[in-house]
Amino acid sequence: MDFSLSSEQEMLRNEARKFLDKECPESLVREIEKRRDGYSPELWRKIADLGWLGMVFPEEYGGLGSSVLDLAVLYEEFGKAMFPSPHLSTVVLCGLLLASAGNEEQKKEILPRIAKGDLILALAWTEPEASLGSTAWEPAGVTVSAVPDGNDYIVTGTKLFVHDAHIADYLLCVARTKREGPAEEGISLFLVDAKSPGMKRTLLKTTAGDKQCEVIFDTVRIPGKNLVGKLNGGWGPLFQALQRGAVMLCAQMVGAGKEILKITVEYAKTRIQFDAPIGVNQYVQEHCTELASYVDGCRFVTYQAAWRLAEQLPCDFEVAIAKGWCSDAFEAACLCAHSVFAGYGYTSKDGVLPLYSRRGKTQQLYLGDGPFWRKRIADALDTRTFQKPKGKALGLWKGGPEDEIPAWKVWRREDLQEV
Amino acid sequence: MEFGFTEHQEKLRKEIREFFSSELPEDYEPDTENMGKEVQAFMMQLKDKAVKKGYYVPGWPKEYGGAGYTEIDQGILDEEMGYAGVLWPDFLGLHLVGPTLMMIGTEEQKKRFIPPIARGETVCFEAFTEPEAGSDEANVQLKAVEDGDSFVLSGQKVFISGAFEPNWLFTLARTTQTVPKHRGLTLFLVPANLPGITFRPLPTMGGGRQNEIYFDEVRVSKEYLLGEINRGFYHAMMVFEFERRMTGAASRGKRQLEELIAFCKETKRDGKPLMEDPHVRDTLAGLAIQCEVQRLAGWHSTWAFAERDEIGPMPYDLSNYYAKKWAAPHAKAMTDIIGLYAQLRTGSKWVPMMGRLERMWKVTRSMHAGGTFEVIKIVLAQRGLGLPRIPAQLMTAAGEAIKKGSKSA
Ligand SMILES: Cc1cc2nc3c(=O)[nH]c(=O)nc-3n(C[C@H](O)[C@H](O)[C@H](O)COP(=O)(O)OP(=O)(O)OC[C@H]3O[C@@H](n4cnc5c(N)ncnc54)[C@H](O)[C@@H]3O)c2cc1C
Ligand SMILES: Cc1cc2nc3c(=O)[nH]c(=O)nc-3n(C[C@H](O)[C@H](O)[C@H](O)COP(=O)(O)OP(=O)(O)OC[C@H]3O[C@@H](n4cnc5c(N)ncnc54)[C@H](O)[C@@H]3O)c2cc1C
Repeated sequence: MDFSLSSEQEMLRNEARKFLDKECPESLVREIEKRRDGYSPELWRKIADLGWLGMVFPEEYGGLGSSVLDLAVLYEEFGKAMFPSPHLSTVVLCGLLLASAGNEEQKKEILPRIAKGDLILALAWTEPEASLGSTAWEPAGVTVSAVPDGNDYIVTGTKLFVHDAHIADYLLCVARTKREGPAEEGISLFLVDAKSPGMKRTLLKTTAGDKQCEVIFDTVRIPGKNLVGKLNGGWGPLFQALQRGAVMLCAQMVGAGKEILKITVEYAKTRIQFDAPIGVNQYVQEHCTELASYVDGCRFVTYQAAWRLAEQLPCDFEVAIAKGWCSDAFEAACLCAHSVFAGYGYTSKDGVLPLYSRRGKTQQLYLGDGPFWRKRIADALDTRTFQKPKGKALGLWKGGPEDEIPAWKVWRREDLQEV
Repeated sequence: MEFGFTEHQEKLRKEIREFFSSELPEDYEPDTENMGKEVQAFMMQLKDKAVKKGYYVPGWPKEYGGAGYTEIDQGILDEEMGYAGVLWPDFLGLHLVGPTLMMIGTEEQKKRFIPPIARGETVCFEAFTEPEAGSDEANVQLKAVEDGDSFVLSGQKVFISGAFEPNWLFTLARTTQTVPKHRGLTLFLVPANLPGITFRPLPTMGGGRQNEIYFDEVRVSKEYLLGEINRGFYHAMMVFEFERRMTGAASRGKRQLEELIAFCKETKRDGKPLMEDPHVRDTLAGLAIQCEVQRLAGWHSTWAFAERDEIGPMPYDLSNYYAKKWAAPHAKAMTDIIGLYAQLRTGSKWVPMMGRLERMWKVTRSMHAGGTFEVIKIVLAQRGLGLPRIPAQLMTAAGEAIKKGSKSA
């Protein structure tokens, strides 16, 4: 057990914090939210130069071979800075998925260009109907079809809530290639050139002001060589991508949560009402302690999951715990902060809390919300066993009356009568 | 970062688990406070075996009978004991009195008092709380008047846990009346059999035994005074640090959860195991999340404790916060799963899981030992987060004003 960061991770954190403090101030976050592109191409170049786009790729594809745990450290800083970028879509969801499931040619073609900052990718997975409730990331939710046609496939259907599709060069499309049999055994992944005829991308308006799209595939023709991984074998690598992405969202919530805790406690110490700092009141103190408990919980579960991913240990339970907890805890943490900031936490012009809070909505829903991951946790619980102790039964534990005075009976003051 | 354990630690865990699994009977009641004579005898012989195995005070320095356990090793032992549901008769001696003696005892006191505790021959009570001194520990009124080579103690303690007959009362008394209240207290280790001490049992709704303890001019030799005279409040704050560090709560929750899961797998409704009910599954998963958060928070505290150089206030210990916050909601969620059966007690016909959930529900009405949840939050807010507090004189003045106001009204 060791909760500390390595010195390299500390360095990465400091470098990231310094860079983002300077290059990604709140004013930029606000400006980009209003822009259609939703990111800064200039910053995208700069982080490519810093190595942040390729760091988790293997060295032979232009990467640094860093671990997912290192990446979580970086994502904590992304969360704190609310860094608007297609990094999660491009690097974590699509890039690492290609690195794990793609063939040599695909990896050589795509990964080095991502690392250099020349390509943006988006993962086209969720669909209109399954997005009701918590089923968007279930295998059965995938209905967009890819039908073979000679050496090609024809893709038809609508994807919804596709992050960063509007600026993507390629979409990684999750498609159904087999209808009969278990749902997860009929899913395949295709790399789709975003300029392919028949594709239509429309920006949605969202709470967080982030860039999510409807993507319509109207009989889009895709060359067979763009199949990623095995035909009908897409679910395995896809679920791993979901796990990595979910943990990175958690890391963002950790970074954001720590900052919210800091500004909230600061506000409670300095805001005067009734002649004293509001932080002297126990109601306000309670909001702050609750907030701290949510944020620290996020920190613990997130780093445990990231560590297990990095060590390539079994992690279905831990990842589900991480996103299952963070999704709901972060929202609750923001709510605590809203209570303390009261009026000032609601006005959006000068308050930073609304920015965090609105992003929290995406972070909660994206890549599986609480109920979705709790289903996964319950699946893991199915395999838990309880082992009774092995000694012979003694029959000593019978449950006496409630007010029975157990065992010893020493009360020495003779005149104590009422016992 | 490292969220796993070394090979040595895993081996240790296995050995400890094996020990408890083979020594405990299959009908063992975890954590029961309501003990008849035979159960007490059973616990005593189990403790003797643990002493022999070196599982009793392994974290203590070797000179006091320890086995060179690190903080992490000790955490593993605590976790396994929590899971097995074993609490030693003298857990307060182990966790509070021994460590306190090591910090502030004289050489002579250490030599005299520590070895018997390490050998498991003692039962210590933590006799701090009084009718007028609950959360406000500094308000202790038990009077200790110096008289030659002794102090004469008069007054009363209340809510003092203990089902086993005690040898020692670890207690706080007022030695000086004329200074601010927290500067006039002194810590004592009082032999429980001194003339003038009376115990009055207080049965509780959870079935455990608490006690009122009366002191009628009890003559206590100065050799039983611990640390510095009039510094007792500050010593007690250290004791509370030890108390808050008693881990194992999360693994207790894990065991309850796993027993309930086993029950849900083997119990059918409408021809289907309860475990297939989506609502039950969601509830269990929610509990599993909180158990895991609590487990990690506990390890974080243990790790932080191992990393730091000296004992001092640990302002930011969330494991205790979670334990107090979730105990009752967990009991509620678990008992709701078994519906009407939640009211059946141990020994009753039809009782599921030997009545464990029923008892857990009752016991979780009492998460106040070692500080109420409110007090834990105040400590976290003020010491951990640095939020301001109302100065004591102003609180006193407010108390006075309210008293006056209510009289004139
Ligand atoms: C949507 C909205 C609409 C509004 N419309 C109007 C309007 O039309 N007209 C108008 O005049 N005002 C309006 N207000 C202002 C509103 O009345 C104030 O926001 C509210 O009174 C709280 O004041 P504050 O925001 O300055 O928070 P503060 O008073 O600074 O409170 C901050 C935090 O401290 C807590 N706190 C403060 N004092 C204590 C105490 N003694 N004990 C415990 N906790 C304490 C508060 O509960 C809160 O959690 C509106 C506010 C909002 C959010
Ligand atoms: C099961 C059990 C075992 C115990 N075992 C022991 C033992 O072995 N030895 C021992 O010495 N004691 C023991 N205690 C006593 C325990 O330490 C006290 O119950 C506890 O400190 C609270 O004191 P009180 O019950 O007098 O409540 P009070 O202090 O009267 O508190 C009543 C309520 O007021 C709240 N309150 C008090 N002050 C404040 C404040 N400043 N701000 C906000 N809220 C406040 C409290 O949080 C609580 O909700 C035990 C208690 C229980 C329930």
